[in-house]
Amino acid sequence: MARWALVSGLQGDLALYEAIQRDLRQLARVDTLFVLGDLIGPDRDANALLARLQDPRRGELAPQCIYGWWEEQLLAERGYRGERRADPLRQQFGQAAVEALEQAVDPGHLAWLAALQFGFIELDCALLHGSSAAVDDSLGPDSSPLLLLDRLTRMDVNRLFTARSGQQFRLELSGGGIESQVRDLEGQRQHQQSVPQRQVIGIGAGVRYTLYDPGSDRLDFLVAGSRPQQRARGFA
Amino acid sequence: MTHAVISCLHANLAALEAVLDDIDQRGITTITCLGDLVGYGPQPNEVVNLVRERAIPSCQGCWDEDIIEGLNSCECSYPSQLAERRGHQAHQWTAEQLSEENKAFLASLPMSLRRDRLLFVHGSPNSQHEYLLPDMDAFAALERVQTADADTLFCGHTHRPYVRELRDGVIRVRVQAPTDPQSPAEREMALPVRRIVNAGSVGEPRHGNTHATYVIHDEATGNVEIREVPYDVERTCRAIVEVGLPPVFAWRLRHGFEYAERADDASHVCER
Ligand SMILES: [Zn+2]
Ligand SMILES: [Zn+2]
Repeated sequence: MARWALVSGLQGDLALYEAIQRDLRQLARVDTLFVLGDLIGPDRDANALLARLQDPRRGELAPQCIYGWWEEQLLAERGYRGERRADPLRQQFGQAAVEALEQAVDPGHLAWLAALQFGFIELDCALLHGSSAAVDDSLGPDSSPLLLLDRLTRMDVNRLFTARSGQQFRLELSGGGIESQVRDLEGQRQHQQSVPQRQVIGIGAGVRYTLYDPGSDRLDFLVAGSRPQQRARGFA
Repeated sequence: MTHAVISCLHANLAALEAVLDDIDQRGITTITCLGDLVGYGPQPNEVVNLVRERAIPSCQGCWDEDIIEGLNSCECSYPSQLAERRGHQAHQWTAEQLSEENKAFLASLPMSLRRDRLLFVHGSPNSQHEYLLPDMDAFAALERVQTADADTLFCGHTHRPYVRELRDGVIRVRVQAPTDPQSPAEREMALPVRRIVNAGSVGEPRHGNTHATYVIHDEATGNVEIREVPYDVERTCRAIVEVGLPPVFAWRLRHGFEYAERADDASHVCER
């Protein structure tokens, strides 16, 4: 089965995007490219990258993009999110960062950004920037297993791919269960529920990206431009 | 301390009076209300006035929120289109009837109340509109209580009372990092014992019986009693028809469930 490439956090870096595309051309059996948000950022003019994402070159994999935290901030500031503004960005990085972000993106790209989805469901996988709870939900290998299980349950998927934490990891729910007792006016019922065999996968950000083979469940955590055939740290 | 928790009064004065009598007869003086003071029923001002007179601490319910904020709910507020149409009629009528002072009171209600390790909400800690049904995924249910940093979560909104205890939970995980793919780290999380208590509904019971429901919690023993209180259902039904609300609301009260309008999608997460 063909593999997916999962990328996030390009933050306007067209050279990085081109390096990943070069990698993907050399790798066998990669036929789908997902870009899980943070296409833009405050540090760099993002217009060339945005133009390329919307209009791929011949021989490149056409990207399927969703919006991430930085897009959410820009869209909120520009009135695409009702009453909300980019207050989380303002609080974390200050007013200068809000202005830098606005300058990094030509207004002509806003409609395209605003049309991006929150996530994709492919087979039994959810591909998201943060989680099913919110775009800013940062899931990592040390997150509470209860919280991770809840995020999987909310989407009713077996694999949740997330980018927000920037970390690459595979966390597998491998066992356990819970006892539940319900009493109502009709009586009492006991129920034992097992932990489902599900996984949360961190795809990384920027130069760190991930390949996934939905047929074999194999993951490869890669670093852009570092000769993926030899450096790939793959495991099934 | 023994305290009573009531929810979903839904502008049904006869039911509220009967429940408060029942609580008074037991000598219980601490009462907490989980919202939905209005909606469906014919006496919104009378019910709000009584809650205010008795100074019953209350959180804001989905109806209380909608009456103030206008209807912008996620589709989950109504289990069917028919229910939605009738709901809109009731919403409009209630909004017209409520005094400005009572609207301001509803607007002032908090999303949640907390007493030590007890948390009181209308739907769930996430939203007034989220249903915590008794058979929802046990881990997801526990996550709601745990994330809210409570031992016992009191909720309403489903109109069916229950007590759910979640215990002996454990989750094992295996983590693989790119630096060390061959030797995954194993980790185990023992989950705490937590409870969800749904107080049912005073004014719009849907547990299959016409009696008003509420709960009494004894903090010392941990015991929760689900109370059923008969009241003069016909008094409220007559008033529903007299004020011109959809007669199906009276039909529902007489039967104790919601005809073809049960919300039962436990996996739905409110998008508000
Ligand atoms: Zn209610
Ligand atoms: Zn409600």
